[in-house]
Amino acid sequence: MMNLGVPTLLMLACTLAAQPIPARPELLPVQPLVFKAPRARDFKVTLRNGIPAFIVPDPEGQPIVRVKVLYRGGSYLDPAGKEGLAALFGNQIRRGGTEVTPVDELDERLAFLAAGVHGRCGATSGSLSLEVLEKDLETGLAAFMEVLTRPAFAQASLDLARQDQLQALAKRNDSANSISGYQFGYLLRGESHFASAQATQASLARITREDLRAFHARILHPANLVVTASGPIDPRAFKAVLDRTVGALKPGREARVSPPVPAPTFTRTPGLYLCGKAGPQSVVALAVPGLRRGDPDWPAAMLMEEILGGGGVSSRLMKRLRNDEGLTYGVSTRLEPGTFWKGDLLCRFQTKNRSVAYALRLVLEEVEKLKREPVGEQEFSVARDGLIQAFPSRFSDAESVAGLFAGQNLNGQPEDYFLDFRERLRSVTRDQVREAARKYLDMTRMVLLVVGDVEAVRQGDAKDHPGRLGEGLGLPVTVLPLRDPSTLRPLP
Amino acid sequence: MFVQPFLRFAALLAAPLLAQSIPVTEHTLSNGMRVLLVERHQRPSVACGWVVRAGSANERPGTTGIAHLFEHMMFKGTRTLGTRDAARDAELNRLQDLLQAQIRRELDTLRERLRRGEIADMNDPAVRSPRHQDLLRDFERLATEQRALLEKNELVQIYTRAGATELNADTTSDRTYFHVTVPANRLELWAWLESDRLLNPVFREFYTERDVVMEERRQRVDATAIGVFEERYRSLIWQAHPYHWPIIGWPSDIAQVTREQAQEFFATYYAPNNISAVLVGDFRSRDALAMMERYFGRIPANPAGVPPIVTTEPPQPAPTRLLAEADTGAEVVITFKAVSGLHRDAPALEVLAALLGGQTGRLNRALVRARRSATDVMAWNKGLKYAGTFVVFGVPAGEDRSPEVEAQLLEEIARIQREGVTERELRKVKNRFQMGAFKRLEDDAVLANALAEAEGAGTYRDLLEEPRWLEAVTAADVQRVARKYLVKESMNTLVYSRKSAPAREGK
Repeated sequence: MMNLGVPTLLMLACTLAAQPIPARPELLPVQPLVFKAPRARDFKVTLRNGIPAFIVPDPEGQPIVRVKVLYRGGSYLDPAGKEGLAALFGNQIRRGGTEVTPVDELDERLAFLAAGVHGRCGATSGSLSLEVLEKDLETGLAAFMEVLTRPAFAQASLDLARQDQLQALAKRNDSANSISGYQFGYLLRGESHFASAQATQASLARITREDLRAFHARILHPANLVVTASGPIDPRAFKAVLDRTVGALKPGREARVSPPVPAPTFTRTPGLYLCGKAGPQSVVALAVPGLRRGDPDWPAAMLMEEILGGGGVSSRLMKRLRNDEGLTYGVSTRLEPGTFWKGDLLCRFQTKNRSVAYALRLVLEEVEKLKREPVGEQEFSVARDGLIQAFPSRFSDAESVAGLFAGQNLNGQPEDYFLDFRERLRSVTRDQVREAARKYLDMTRMVLLVVGDVEAVRQGDAKDHPGRLGEGLGLPVTVLPLRDPSTLRPLP
Repeated sequence: MFVQPFLRFAALLAAPLLAQSIPVTEHTLSNGMRVLLVERHQRPSVACGWVVRAGSANERPGTTGIAHLFEHMMFKGTRTLGTRDAARDAELNRLQDLLQAQIRRELDTLRERLRRGEIADMNDPAVRSPRHQDLLRDFERLATEQRALLEKNELVQIYTRAGATELNADTTSDRTYFHVTVPANRLELWAWLESDRLLNPVFREFYTERDVVMEERRQRVDATAIGVFEERYRSLIWQAHPYHWPIIGWPSDIAQVTREQAQEFFATYYAPNNISAVLVGDFRSRDALAMMERYFGRIPANPAGVPPIVTTEPPQPAPTRLLAEADTGAEVVITFKAVSGLHRDAPALEVLAALLGGQTGRLNRALVRARRSATDVMAWNKGLKYAGTFVVFGVPAGEDRSPEVEAQLLEEIARIQREGVTERELRKVKNRFQMGAFKRLEDDAVLANALAEAEGAGTYRDLLEEPRWLEAVTAADVQRVARKYLVKESMNTLVYSRKSAPAREGK
């Protein structure tokens, strides 16, 4: 049982067989289920050197212990011309062996224990994690600390990882999806901002062992770190274990507190962009500016987005494009939480080339409807109650609870954000949802990218659903060149 | 810097730590439906699922893809849910079927014209006859009227509102699995909704859903770099067995499957005596069993039972090769025919695959680290219900190194056939399997899925016994299965190479 203050439900033992089955599911009796959201402060400790740690015990869980050190740092620190450095570091801190144990021996020892030590590094944060059977904790933790503090970044491993990356780069134009990935980033944030910058053959070639070593030396500052631990552990005893290991880290000479994450400065040009890729289907992606999670509008915007396209098959876009028209397997929206700058409201779908113009028209119609008419009570309550009732599932296991708190801590978000999350949703009105649609679904600011057979997209579905792409929007249409997969320079 | 000395690892052949056995309560309802319960009170929720023993292997040419299309249809509602006027809805379905029968005749004509070379694409709107166009317009009118009566996705909405998560289903060649996780106070809602869709399903929006599945096929297969090649490879490996066709079906079949065929499929396979339900989570077994009997016990069994699949793949007489030039980098895949996942040799093949694959496996050591001929290697054993395959895979370190990688993959297999494997390697992979058994128990939905998977192919007891079978595999077993199954005759090789400079893309 995870000690999350969850009273187990008392089911009423009824004499069931005798009861008739109600005619409709709404007529079923419902016992109340009380769920209190776990509080970060109940799991948080501060290690000797000031590193915050979230220790979430799971006394009835399996005999597996997990420890993770998360750090603030990532590709936002990549120097210009060395794009791909942080990502390589994330994997090489583990794959490059340590000063005392060559990587093959390290792999072999951990594999024999069926233990795992894994490194990864993303755009703004990275982590090193340990997963080990309880009986091997001491050995596993020793290996973990060795990797964390004394990585060797062996040249042979770096060369192999680089080759791996180069092979991945070579596949950039192999599918409309992957083309859409890099082109859309450029349209939204330009080519130089870290969130859309891409590694090239040249930038990977410039990255040296010394770069990896320096990145490591810089990151390993207690002020950049957060720790999580979960499993069948005693919080007090485990704090002592962490104090002996991660808690004993001191900043080295080259250690630096990671700077704030920079927001993009790029000015977008709203419009419709087309990029050619032969195939039966186009990948369509669009974005309009959104907001940040801390904004007072957030709960209303969240419900608005849930109703529009975030709520899976119940959403309006899914009903219209998939159920009514059979145009797509899936259409979804996402409201970026805007962790470091205002996020976007994104929408994605794939449909046969000829149907793109029609499908887009339907998306825009649904957007207009949401702005024009108040949402129905039924639809509104499905979205709101769904989010409220499914709330406990966010805390379904010790590892995710620890991870949730650590992530908020690392990103400088308030640690009690989820405590009154359900109350905030309950206070949203249907009018506020419409207001959020009017405020944030400004389609004149839309950036839309279609990757597919440009000619078929332009022609549209002349026979069954005539109409040109983006008709009536008044946005310019631009054809983007494909880029060379290795250099990312536009192809002639 | 603070570092602890790295401790020596555990003694070589320490006694294994076996996962506790899974406390399953098993029960068969009066109509033959099997119920498996695992009571666990860590979380205030229940992972619920039911598996029907039917998948793409139960189809036939002309109706390929129907098992998967069917999975979609099960979300369309029932006589109670999904429409505001059940009588008119049923009438509209009937009228749509009549129109579709006439549309099919138009398509028959177009197929004939295609064979004669008079048209190039039977799906091009320009080739339709005026009558065909009228029929489509009439059909659209009916569909529009029906849409006005629909309570769209009512099943999903009821679940969503109740706080259900992970609501989905998936189809394999052998089984179809419907699952959802509900808050602990909504277990009866699950029983109500699921028994309702087994008792009174209505396959409305059938013809639109066909289009949805066509788009799904494009997205998963046709619009990907290697989808159509993977499909071709599968058909090369399985010549006679129904594993021959793709789970999602051939495009021609998806486009023409009828509601009548779907009804027949449902009547045959979606019977309680061909279904197992699995609940894992926060409930009391005694109450849950009574509830299951009350809700699911009312569904009539299919006394005729399910027709067995009698087609068996004949022994492969010669190796095959598929050379695919695609929008992708070089890859080498070698697939041997092996055994069903239920076969007594399956555990030894699983151990063999683990020894060859993985970060510290033999393929990685030889090809990636020692010889630098590959950047990635894998090995896996895929034991399906009726038959199985054993696969080794490599990504060459350069476009021109495929022959080298292919030879070295086979050399590592030959080495095991000649020299066998060490006790230490054996212990290492068995430890990994044990870790896997613990991990499977960590999550209610994962455990429910594993139990359902076992029920789909054989019985949940297979899952309970698996750790013991894997632990019992000896070095001699591994060498024996390598010699027996990884032979030249049963080999199918797929080599990918990058298609040379593409024509101007997309104009």
